[in-house]
Amino acid sequence: MNDGRRKVLKAGVAVAATLGIPFVARAQSKPVKFAALLPLTGPFAFAGNAALEAFRDATEYVNEVKGGIGGRKLELLVEDTGYDVAKGTAAFSRIVSRESPDELLFVYGDSTGLSKALAPEVARLGLPYSATSFSSELADPKTYPTIFVLGPTYSDMMAGLLGEVRRRKRAAKIALVYSNSEFGKDPIPFAKAQAEKLGMQIVAEEVTPLSMPDATALALKLKQAGPDFVIMQGYVLTVEPLLVRAAKEQGLNATFMGTYYSAELALMQRGGPATNGFVVTYHNAYWYDSLIPAVEKIKQFRASKGRSISYKTTYYMGSWFVVDVLGEAFSRAAKAGKLTRAGVVESLNNMGDYNADGLIRSMKFVNHRLPYIKLYRANVQDGRFDAITDWITVG
Amino acid sequence: MLLLQFLITGLATGALYALIALGFVLVYRTSRVVNFAVGEFLLVGAYLTYTLALLMPLPLALLVAVPAAFLFGVLVERVFVRPLLGRNLVAVIMATIGLVVTLQGGVQLIWGPDQKYLSGTLPDLTVQVGGFALPSRSVWYLMIGVLLCAWLVYLLRKSRYGVLVRAVSESETAALALGINAPRVVGAVWGLSAALAALGGGLLALAGGVGFHLAALGLKVFPVAILGGMDSVAGVLVAGLLLGVVESFSMLYLESRFAGITEAVPFLIVLLVLLFRPQGIFGQGRIERL
Repeated sequence: MNDGRRKVLKAGVAVAATLGIPFVARAQSKPVKFAALLPLTGPFAFAGNAALEAFRDATEYVNEVKGGIGGRKLELLVEDTGYDVAKGTAAFSRIVSRESPDELLFVYGDSTGLSKALAPEVARLGLPYSATSFSSELADPKTYPTIFVLGPTYSDMMAGLLGEVRRRKRAAKIALVYSNSEFGKDPIPFAKAQAEKLGMQIVAEEVTPLSMPDATALALKLKQAGPDFVIMQGYVLTVEPLLVRAAKEQGLNATFMGTYYSAELALMQRGGPATNGFVVTYHNAYWYDSLIPAVEKIKQFRASKGRSISYKTTYYMGSWFVVDVLGEAFSRAAKAGKLTRAGVVESLNNMGDYNADGLIRSMKFVNHRLPYIKLYRANVQDGRFDAITDWITVG
Repeated sequence: MLLLQFLITGLATGALYALIALGFVLVYRTSRVVNFAVGEFLLVGAYLTYTLALLMPLPLALLVAVPAAFLFGVLVERVFVRPLLGRNLVAVIMATIGLVVTLQGGVQLIWGPDQKYLSGTLPDLTVQVGGFALPSRSVWYLMIGVLLCAWLVYLLRKSRYGVLVRAVSESETAALALGINAPRVVGAVWGLSAALAALGGGLLALAGGVGFHLAALGLKVFPVAILGGMDSVAGVLVAGLLLGVVESFSMLYLESRFAGITEAVPFLIVLLVLLFRPQGIFGQGRIERL
């Protein structure tokens, strides 16, 4: 009787093992997913499409060179936002309702407006999130414990620029020119307070649309105010070339400055010689930074795939950096047996020893942002931005 | 002096507004279609100029882009608009909204999403008056905008083709009864609208680069057209110049006190015009018998 029962039990175990192993194997082969909500159409399509190319390249790199995430495949989900908050919100809802919470471990959004709109829901879902936006409001771990700004905030960038102003001239006169958008307005209160703290005078504050037919009137207005430095925020190379050129034509001798989204070579291509000396903040690497190991790695990978290794924009570099960091955070979480949303947040909070092969100074977050920048100056003759500082920790 | 500087700067920008809005108003006059895709016409024009500028000097590229855009406008009318004429007006308006998406997608497919810039420049016409430099591009805006608009107004009043356009504008049915090939006239007007937008797009691209941001600048034609009167060609020129000057003065006097007001001023004016003189300053009030 006992023998019989043992036989039955053994047979049962054998059947369970035979039927169960594929389920275990299937669970292990489930992909690890992250979603990117990108402006693939509309006024920022140039940035969205460059980002998509980098997202695809870097995801392939993680899967093929790094062996995926603990043996599981990293899978990229993409939705177009058209740089529209309503469209982006709908895309986000579609993705989070369709995907299982144990597979979808990260969402990358676009724009300050969209990210602020999504932030409460992201926090409620406990979903790790980052975005193309460097809004100071998003870097708030108490309110949004799962949102990470993968770079300095716009306020940090302003701090870096104002530091440079102070280094060049004490009690300088500053003009702030920014777009009438969340993106444009984000760091302005901070910049005004910081300038005052540093003994500088804000002599003009001009708000403009994201694009303008001409900037001569604006340049004349600035000339009246007579600033030593003009800091621009909230544009993506639409108004900067116009204003810098118009300022030069009207004889305004000020140094122009801008933040991350002004730090692309198209500034010089569109604005010509007038943009020489334009100072920007940037925190990843340029395609021509051959001393940065990550740049060589990316070039080699693209070459091995038969893809062009001609110039890639800052939007591409920044997006590669995002996937590189995600891949590392996911892998660390998997290694710790915590490949969950909470595990990824924990992993991101403990990556101070990582620098993505030189794409950032360090992944050590301070209040969920990476307050490290370098300042660069436009060199029109060579058609590139030259670094004028080493890494600066701000804030 | 400062006032004069802002006045001239405003007139230059206004001339460009007038140039673009003129095509919009002509289309409305002849076919009663509100072309919401006028910004995309700018976009297509700028990209055409960009492509041609890769093959030839920029001034020549601008000149070649104009007839190329004319053909494009005729094609749009033939494919998108003509099949819908005579149908519900909402259907035609929806078609032009569909055209917005189609043209944006088409431009991205053909030219890609990357930021581009025009190589080359137009001959330098900078005018230096004391400490004020009227930049070359402003001189070009004024010359092309004002002269071309004035010339087109003259042609509409005096030339044979202008009379045909006016006849179709008054009554398409009567024009057809008189043996005028009204569809061909309407097609030509769409072509002209696209050509003017191409010129405007090319000039804008010359100043700030080629990109999808140009489409947003097309929105400026609505306040200009409403202010001037949707059916007044001469009114467009005056309204364009006026709006350019108002924006410029708003930048000078209001912007420091009310940040962002300059962007809103054209639309505030439109609101006032619609409230007190719905036909615009130069438009004709129509009485419809029910």
